[in-house]
Order: sequence, then structure tokens, then C-alpha cells
Amino acid sequence: MKSHSSHLFATPARRDFLYGMGAGLGSVALTSMLKDTAFGGTLKTVHHPAKAKRCIFLMMEGGPSHIDTFDPKPELTKRHLQRFKRSGEAESAMSSGDRYFVKSPFDFIKAGKSGADICTEWEHLKNQVDDICFFRGAQVESVNHPTACYQLNTGNRFGGDPGIGSWVTYGLGTGNENLPGFVVLPRASYPQGGAANWSNGYLPAEFQGTPLRPEGSPILDLSPPVGVSRDRQRKNLDLLGKLNQDHLAAREGRGELNARMSSYELAYRMQMEVPGVLDLDGEDKKTLESYGIGDTKTDAFGRKCLLARRLVEKGVRFVQAYAGNWDSHDYIQRAHGSLIKAVDKPIAGLLKDLKERGMLDDTLVVWCGEFGRTPDNGLRGGGQSYGRDHNAKAMGMWFAGGGVNAGHTIGATDEIGGEAVENVHHIRDVHVTLLHLLGLDDNRLSYYHAGRHKQLSQFGGSVIDDLIA
Amino acid sequence: MKITFTLLILVLLVGSLCAEEPSEGEKLFALEVKPLFAEKCNACHGDEPDKIKGEFDMRTREAILKGGDYFAEDVLIAGKGEESFLYVLTTRTEEDYEMPPKEADQLTEAQRWSIRDWINEGAPWVDDERVALIQEQYAEGEQVVTSKALSDDWQNRRYETEKLWAYRPLKVAEVPEGENPVDYFISRKLKEAGLEAAPAANALELARRISFGLTGLPPKPKQVEDFKAAYSADQNQAVKELAAALMATPQYGEHFGRQWLDVTRYADTAGFANDYTRPNAWRYRDYVVRSFNEDKPYNAFVKEQIAGDEMDESDPEKLVATGFLRMGPWEQTGMSVFRETRQQWLDDVTDATGQVFLAHAMQCAKCHDHKFDPLPTRDYYSMMAVFSTTQFADREAPFLEKENKGWFNESDQWVKAKLASYQQQHKALQAKVNNQKKKESGDAKVGDNGLDPGDEASLGRMKKNISRHQWELDRTRPIAFSVYTGNTIEMKNVSNRINHPGEGIWKKGELEQAAILAGGNAFSPTDPVSPGALSAADSLGAMDELSFPDGKGKRRLALAEWIVSEKNPLTARVLVNRIWAWHFGKGIAGNPNNFGGTGAPPTHPELLDYLANWFMENDWSIKRLNEMIVTSDAYRRSSKHPQPEALAEKDPKQALYAAFLPRRLTAEEFRDAMLATSGELSYQVGGIPARPDVNVEVAFQPRQIMGGTASVYEPDPLPQQRNRRSIYAEKMRGLRDPFYETFNQPGPDNSCELRETSTVAPQALTLFNSEEILERATALANRVLKETNNQEKAIHRAFHLSLGRRATEGELAASLAHWKEAIDEESGKEYVEKVFQTEIKRTVMAEKTGEPYDFIEIMPAFEIYQPDLTPGKVDAETRGLAHLCLVLFNLNEFAYLD
Repeated sequence: MKSHSSHLFATPARRDFLYGMGAGLGSVALTSMLKDTAFGGTLKTVHHPAKAKRCIFLMMEGGPSHIDTFDPKPELTKRHLQRFKRSGEAESAMSSGDRYFVKSPFDFIKAGKSGADICTEWEHLKNQVDDICFFRGAQVESVNHPTACYQLNTGNRFGGDPGIGSWVTYGLGTGNENLPGFVVLPRASYPQGGAANWSNGYLPAEFQGTPLRPEGSPILDLSPPVGVSRDRQRKNLDLLGKLNQDHLAAREGRGELNARMSSYELAYRMQMEVPGVLDLDGEDKKTLESYGIGDTKTDAFGRKCLLARRLVEKGVRFVQAYAGNWDSHDYIQRAHGSLIKAVDKPIAGLLKDLKERGMLDDTLVVWCGEFGRTPDNGLRGGGQSYGRDHNAKAMGMWFAGGGVNAGHTIGATDEIGGEAVENVHHIRDVHVTLLHLLGLDDNRLSYYHAGRHKQLSQFGGSVIDDLIA
Repeated sequence: MKITFTLLILVLLVGSLCAEEPSEGEKLFALEVKPLFAEKCNACHGDEPDKIKGEFDMRTREAILKGGDYFAEDVLIAGKGEESFLYVLTTRTEEDYEMPPKEADQLTEAQRWSIRDWINEGAPWVDDERVALIQEQYAEGEQVVTSKALSDDWQNRRYETEKLWAYRPLKVAEVPEGENPVDYFISRKLKEAGLEAAPAANALELARRISFGLTGLPPKPKQVEDFKAAYSADQNQAVKELAAALMATPQYGEHFGRQWLDVTRYADTAGFANDYTRPNAWRYRDYVVRSFNEDKPYNAFVKEQIAGDEMDESDPEKLVATGFLRMGPWEQTGMSVFRETRQQWLDDVTDATGQVFLAHAMQCAKCHDHKFDPLPTRDYYSMMAVFSTTQFADREAPFLEKENKGWFNESDQWVKAKLASYQQQHKALQAKVNNQKKKESGDAKVGDNGLDPGDEASLGRMKKNISRHQWELDRTRPIAFSVYTGNTIEMKNVSNRINHPGEGIWKKGELEQAAILAGGNAFSPTDPVSPGALSAADSLGAMDELSFPDGKGKRRLALAEWIVSEKNPLTARVLVNRIWAWHFGKGIAGNPNNFGGTGAPPTHPELLDYLANWFMENDWSIKRLNEMIVTSDAYRRSSKHPQPEALAEKDPKQALYAAFLPRRLTAEEFRDAMLATSGELSYQVGGIPARPDVNVEVAFQPRQIMGGTASVYEPDPLPQQRNRRSIYAEKMRGLRDPFYETFNQPGPDNSCELRETSTVAPQALTLFNSEEILERATALANRVLKETNNQEKAIHRAFHLSLGRRATEGELAASLAHWKEAIDEESGKEYVEKVFQTEIKRTVMAEKTGEPYDFIEIMPAFEIYQPDLTPGKVDAETRGLAHLCLVLFNLNEFAYLD
């Protein structure tokens, strides 16, 4: 089929793109197609040598509090419950009016050889901090969940643009033609803003994030409907192939018809392959236990973390796993307490497992949410509660694995955690750095659309050198 | 709007005073190097003096000679171009120092050499005045008079003449009497290329092409046979009559409406955190369908969508039409800053108006003068100023006789059942909370308040959904999703209908003063601007000067008049190009939303101009334009060229229309064609959004919204409600139907100029494995068995319905064998009828406590739900045939039009 499709790609007449789940189907042709400026793309392999070849992105949806995880603020203990007023034309209702400071309910320690700050709720991760580079300098532009999520995931606050994983797959391709290159492991309930958070945007559909759903069929319609056996399905496919063949015989050189026939065979193979990847039964007990699988508190995210490892092992380029919801406006101690418990062991298990398998060196692991939280809270119904609102000016995130400056904490927030003040970077620089760690140059990873060359960082950004080893 | 010609006059005056002959180096500097620096370098090396990258300042010769952080005196060695890094870095051979950094911005060889040669000439630097003089005398390319740029460099820039085609007046060539103009221009180019055209397509291919092309539906078997007979008698007449007959059906307006709604980004919800319903958006959708069916002159169609309320606010139709202005995603929550969301809408509507009617992506000029086109930032904000007095309102607008008011009671009943259930649950839970909640006081605010983890979250969720469903009741009320002209009144939290302020339109709030916003930031106004449009179209297009009112005037009406002015060089070109692209799969100009210098230039400019002019002369009638296109030989050609090698050699981009380009059905056509074939399609036109069956796992999946989880998606209970054309399926930004999405339906957030087609494995999974498609196949099998009396006839009928032709002998034999074997398997198989649950238990996370909780939601639609025909309801013979029908729906012949 390759010869046919390259013929087609050489002369794209309509806006046709032919792909399987991975870049495998017709990948030879893919390059020539994407070089055609009518479609605006340039497909690059790695732009510069890089350690990381794949990425696991742990998305803490809802906005985890940096102040109650990795960025202790003793000053807040002093100011606890002090009241003040804030106003300003650009302030939202959430940040203006009567406010009061809230101390962190958690104790902090200096962990590992690096002495990284971490609250004691992280019972497992505290043993892994030397593999981690913490970053306190990031800022975003929005204090609303969907716009901030869109900005974090796609660079564009208003959505509609390709996700980070789409760009990475676009740049690097995938290592397994029977699996998607960009996989998302969402929670049973989708985040605000929905699937646009892992959209391919204006990139071809090939680069869309494929959610593997935690409940029901992991990929929609992955098995035949009730009453249709595999055998019957095969016979139907064979008849389809035969009739299509006759149709094709009268239409020589129509690569798109041939590719569509191949896509059915690929779908058939996927039916076989995907369940095997998702089936965790083959993993030994110790591994399952180390991810917290089997314990109700950690099972859900433990499965995602283990699945993430299995997927990248199989050649998937970018896996994004969702945990949450971290939107703790009211009871930080209770809500963040249980959320940290739900992800602590799974994440520590993942880092350990990757390390033991020698994969941490070339796998980038990212942990972050769409924004951080405020040192202060608003009065709700006249009362105080020990929670925090949204904060776009300060947040916590960390990187581990391939090429990162592990064992260091980069940047700083002010004494109450209200705003990043050292090594301050717009989220676009985080995007540029993330691509850089994967061997991709944001300025060269562009796609022509709607009148201009577009890129993940939107308008270009800079690599945050201190995050890189 | 006034265009000042002062600048040009000044330049001319100074130009005449030019005395001393410039040197080669000076010429290079003025004509090439300086503009190059301005366009490619100064953004990082001079425009913002306190943010100069690498400490390398390129504003003066002295500064350049000083060098920066990485290169010093070797940056510029006068006389030695090849050794100067200013040149070397542009060759992109120094890793990590490629300049400009973006590969997309890289210099052409000619540009690089101009820098090198300038350095070789000693790198002379002359002042701005002399630069202007030299440019005036020696520059190639063309200057364009525009309103006023942010920078002088931009104001004086020159454009390649051929990139300005879209702004120039139409050049209308003569077409010999009796010739179809389409063929006249197409044939000339084919002849020039020495390429023969493919012969005409056969009657079946044409019947399918025209039927899908004009209605988005397959031809019925009888239509095909009638057309074949007529075609053999008189080809021209047959095509003309078929086109006329199809354009007279309401399905024409549905199909063309669907394509227009791709461009205007129609959706039934608002997107973002709440994804609130837009309960009256459907009336705009129906207005569009109606307008195509009535063949409303396009100039009237444009005016109504931009300024219907300013034309006649007593006409409900005109209020409904302005729904266009509010089609983009938008929300104002209690947490949003109004000035930001207001600006977000202004940006959205400015860009949308530019793209939809003028093929200009205005957003590119929001923060800086346009990089490639003669579109200064001032024009962006002038156009934005047109909308500064436009305000949202869901206005009273009585239903018209011609609007479909069907299913209103059913909709209300369903919404009320949802409301009643939530209210009851809310009451019970509130009582429990009142009873059990411990007083939280002082330091005890840590969350242990005696309630179950999800109680408070559940209360919030119920309250939110009660308010959502209450708003949904507006679906059946005579309200238009519309606008009015008035002061801007700050809105806090929009979670319900926005009422018209009545007498207060100029009393409450403030008259918004538009200004150029530095960096596009709503809080950084600079120069005030007054309403206007594209100044380059005014000057290059030699348009009559139209004045735009300011203050309380009808600004949008003025813009609409400017757009539909017969002298506007863009409007008619843009529209005929869109229609052309809908028929041929690509535009004469390749980017229907971008007629600027970066868009593909027209392959047949004379044809485009001729059609644009002809279109305006023919009362802006889209139906007449369709007829001209569909009856042309170019449209009727076979997709198979007799000499593929010659075609590939002489027309590698297939831009000459030597053969017709085959295409795959769109997502909507796919579903509609299956429903039409199986006989299940309901042909009702218009009305409140339908809720078809969507993949049940997606339908039942919890979906987070601000403050909780949105109500579950419930399909409409009756097949005749669900199985309507896809244009009527409720389009929710936050819950896309995976079937449409996988077949390349674009997201409704951005204007889509043309559908793309990708072939991905999930399409095969959906078409081959989903319950919905098996039900279509079962219905088709059931239908053909009813309509025929033996197996052979049944198979022929199934082929005829799905492909427009009988089965060949080979196909018949294979199909019979397949069917027989499938009957054997199906005989004796027991199917358990699916039981539809009327409530659903869902588990979500409670934000407040960070712990999961369950809740039960009732689903009133399933109390009266009537499934489509399922395999369990038919016999083994039908089920066996359904497997063949499933194969037919999956065939390339079904999916592709020749």
C-alpha cells in the first residue's frame, strides 16, 4: 500500500490525510505529504540530541496547592487568619474583597540528599526527591479551570489548538504502529473543557490524543457488538475486502481507497493488541503492590501509572494521566490530604519502576496542575474555611527523568507563595523546555495554519536552562 | 472612516527633492536590508530596548558593530560579508545560533545575499529620510495606502503585486455567447497545458455526485433510474432538471446550511467551564437553512447576520439572524473579569467577521501590524469598534409561521421531569445537611463537619443542574439569541437568559470607547479608534468612501453595507470561492478563509472574477450560481482520467480540473446516508435540537462543569425524534459525538473553511463494531425483505438503495453465499432484549473533600424510550442479511463519491 499512498501524498488533491492509529500506516508517505506547503507542515525527527525519548505527564487537574505540597511558607503560619481587603480592575471575584490568610495544615521536611522541601503527607515520594527537579517559577494567564487547562495542555487559553502530546507525536512519531502515539488516561469524569484538552487541533487527526477510558471499553467500539462473534466479524471483513477489491480494480492509483482498506485490517489487529497492553495480570505482585494497586485509596491512579509505563514501553510517545480534582477551596487538610494519598504511592512506584528498568534515563516525567493556589481565602457565606482559591501567578511543578536537573529546586515564590519571584517563566517557556528535553525545538516544530506558522508556545519562548542537567 | 493620503503625498514631495545619487550599498540598505531587519530581527533586537536578546542591538550601525553577548567585532566586518556573523548566522549553519530562530522565518537566499553584499559594500547606513527617498525612486513592489500603521517601516513597506490580487477591483473578461463561463475559463487553461479533459462521468456517478453535492443525501433508486433515462435523452437538460429538482427540496437548504454553519461555528452550547446551553441558537440554524432554501440574495443574508436588529428590530427573523454574532464560545462566570470576557468576545467577533465574509484572519493584526498583508493593527481595532456598542440579549421574537414548533411539549416535559427530580433530591439532601451538619467555627474549619464526603458537593451539583435545566426551558419559548445596540453594562455571572434592558440601552452602563490595545491587553488602551473596515480594500479596490457612524449610530449596519457594496473587492469573490469549494472540494483560491498573501492565490483568477461579477449581477443568487457550476462540463467530468500519466505530469497538483476529484462523505453525510438507505431517516425540517443515540459510554460518562457534574446525556425517546438529519443533532462543545468527530467534523470553536478527510482506524471500529451501525444495517435488511419477495431481489434492492445500482453477478453470488451462511449461524441464536435503565448511578470526586461519592440520577427519557430496530426483534433471515448490509455501509463505494 505504501507505493499507492505515496503517490497520493505526492499530489494531494483534496484535504486528505491517511493514517492508522500510529504514524506507521504509510509513514513513508507521511513525510512527503507534510512537506507539501499546501498542507503547511514540516515533519522533523529530533532537532538536537536529547536524553528523553518519551514523556509521562501526570496532570493534577483542578490546581494543586504548591503551598501544601512542595513549597512551604512558614510566614503564613504567622499570618494565619489575618484579614485584609484586595481590589483592582483586573482582579476576579475570587481574588478580591475580604480575604484572610491560611497556613498550611501540613508539616514539611527536607528530604533526600538534596534536602528538597516536601510535606510529610508524601510518605513515598519523599524517598524519590533526589530524582526530581522542582520548579517554582511558572505562571499561567488564567484563573479559570478550562482556560488554564487549555493553556497548560495546548498553549492556547481558548482551546482548539493541538495538545502537547500531539506536537510531540507530530515531531517524533510513534514507536508502535498498532497503538496511538499520544494516549490520555483520563478520570472517569472528563475535565472541564472536555476532550479539547487532548485535541489534535489543526494538526491532522493522526495526532489526536486517544483516551483509554478507565471504565467500560477502553477505546470506543473496540470489540464487535453483542451477538457478533469474532469469526463472523472476520467473515464480514473478508467480504468487505473482496467487494472493495473489485471496486478498486476499476480505480487504479486511488491510494485513499487502498489506505481505507488497510485501516480495517489495522483496526482488526488493534482489537487483538490493545486488550493485552491494558491487561495488568501479567505484572508480578510486587510491582502491583508498589504502585498501590489493590488498595482502594491508590488503586485508580496506581493503574494509570502502571499503564503509563506499559504504554511507553510499547512505543507510545506521550502518555498523560489525570488525577484530581485538586480544586480545594474549602478544606485543604482533608481534600489535599486524601488526594496526595491517592497519588503518592503510585507516583513513587512509577519513578522506582522506571529507574529499576533503566527507563528513567530516557523517560521524562512531568507533574503539574493548571495553576497553583492562593495563600489566602475568601469568606464563604460569611465564614472562614481553610482552603485556597486559584492562583495563576504561582504554582508548583516538577520534572524527573531524561535530562532534567534532578536534585534541585529551581525558582522561588514570595514569602507567602502568592507570586513567583525568582526564575519566573510564562508557561510557554515550560512548553519550550519540555519539547527541548525531548529533542524538539519549539521554533522548528511548527505547522502552517490559518495564515501563519503555529507552534506550541504560540509566539515562541525560551528554554529554562536551570531545569536541564 | 477617512483614509489619509497625506503620508503618500509627503513621500512624493520628498521624493522629488532627491538629489545625490545613492551608492549600491545605500540602495541595498534602503531597499533590502533595513526592511529585512524590521521584519525579521528587530522584534528581539531593538523594538523593545529593555528586552534586547543576547545584548545585541540592531537599531543603529554603531550598535551592530559593537556586537552582543555571543559575537563581538566579528558580527559585522565591513567589506567582508562572508566572514561577518550577521550574514553567517542567517545561513543556519551555526548550530544553536540559527537566525532568525524560527525556521518558518528563515531568510531566502536572495535575502541572505543582500545582507552579505551590503556588508561587502561597506555596510553603509543612511537615515530614515534618505531611506524613504531611495525607496521611492528604486523600490520594486507596491505600496498600499492603509489607515495608519504602528510603525513607519510597516507603513512604507512594499508588497509583491501578485499578493494583492484580492483587494483589486474585479477584472471581468468577455465570455463568448452561449458558452458556460466555467468551461470557457477552465478549457483555456487546459489547452494551454496541452492536457485533455476526462470524458463525462456516467449517469450513476453524476446522480450520486449531484445528489450528495446539493442535498447531502444519496439519490433514491427511482431518482437514479429516472435520471439515467433522461440523461440518455438529453444530458444537459437532465442535469439541469435534476439540479433544479434537488434545489427545490428542503434538504438542499439543510445541506448548504450545514456547510455555512461550519464557517460560522454553530453550536448549541457556550463552551468553557459551564458549557451552558444556548437554548435558542437553533432558530439561527433554521434561519440559515431557510435562507438557502428561499435563495435569499447573499447580500441580504450578510446584512441580516451582521445587523439584522439595526435593520428592523420588529422583525423576528432579523433578530434571529444576528445569532451569528454570538456563535463563538463565550462565558461569564462569577469568577471571570467582565472586561476580559467582553474583550474576548470583541476579538472573537472581529476575527470571525473577517474570516467569514472577507477571508481575512483579523487576529493576525491584533498585537502588531499584519506581518504579510496590508492590514494595520489600527484596522483591526477600527473593525472591533464597529462592535463596541453591540450587546448581548436574548430578545423576545415571536415564532414565525414557517418555524418548526414540533416536539415542544415533549421537550418541556422532559426538562420538567429532570427539574422535579433534582428539586426533590435537593430538598431531601438539604434536610439531611440541616440536621447533621456540625457548626463550623473558628479553627474547626478543616472539613470534618458530620456530613458524608459528597453531601455538600451533591447539593452544589443539584443546584447547578436545576439552574441549567431551568434555562433549557427557553428552548421552546419565542426568544431570539440576539443582540442590540447600546451602552456596555457590566455583567457578573451569566447563568440565565440575558434580558434586553428596555429603555435603558443608553442610560445604564457606559458608551464603550474603542482603542488600540497594547499587546492586545484589555487593560492597556492606547490610541482611541473609530469604527471602520479594511483600509486596503478601500484604497486598492477603489471603493467609494463610506462613512461609519460613531457614538450611538448603527455601526454594524454601516459595516454590513460596506461588506456588501458591489465595489467591495472581497465579498463576492469570497462567497463564490466558498460555493466552488463546496462543489469541487477545493477553492479556486485554495484557502477560502484567507485571501491574504499567505493564502493560496487563485488558480483561475479570471474565472473567479467573472463568477463574482456574474453572481452580483444575478441578484447574489446562490441557486443560480449552483446551477451554472453543476451544469458545467468541468463539474460533470469523470473522476477517472484516461491518461493518468499525462495528468500527473502536466497537472501534478490537479489544479486544472481535467478530471473530477473524488471525495469521501462527510461525517454528517455518512450518518444521514445510512439512515436514508435504511428508511429510518425522518425528514422533518428545523426545530429544537434533536438528541440522537450517541455511543452509550460517551453519553453516560460524567462530565465536569464548574461546581459539579453536568446532567447525563439522554437521547430523545422516539426514533422519529432521534433519526433526523445530522444538522439537527444538538451540538455540544463539551460533549462531542464521537462518531462525527472521528469522521473529521471540525470542532465548533474555530471557523472551518473546508472539511478535511483523514483515514484512521477508529473510523473502521465505529462503522464495523458499533451498535448504532448494526441497527442501521438491521433496519436496511428488514426494509429490503419487506419490499421484495425473493433473496436475489432483496440483494439487488439492498445494493440499489445503498449504492444506486444493482449487484453484479459476482457480487450477487458472494452476497447470497454470505447471507446463507449468516442465516445458519443466526438460526437458533437467542437475543436478550436490552433493558433500558431509567436511572444511573455515577461516581465522581467531591472537590471539597477530595473523596469520591456516588449519586443517582434519573433519566426520564428512558421511561418512554423506544429503541430502533435491534437484531433481537427480527428473524434469523433478517439478521443474516443485516451482516451483508453492514458490509455495504462499510464499502469504499458507499463512502466515496466518484
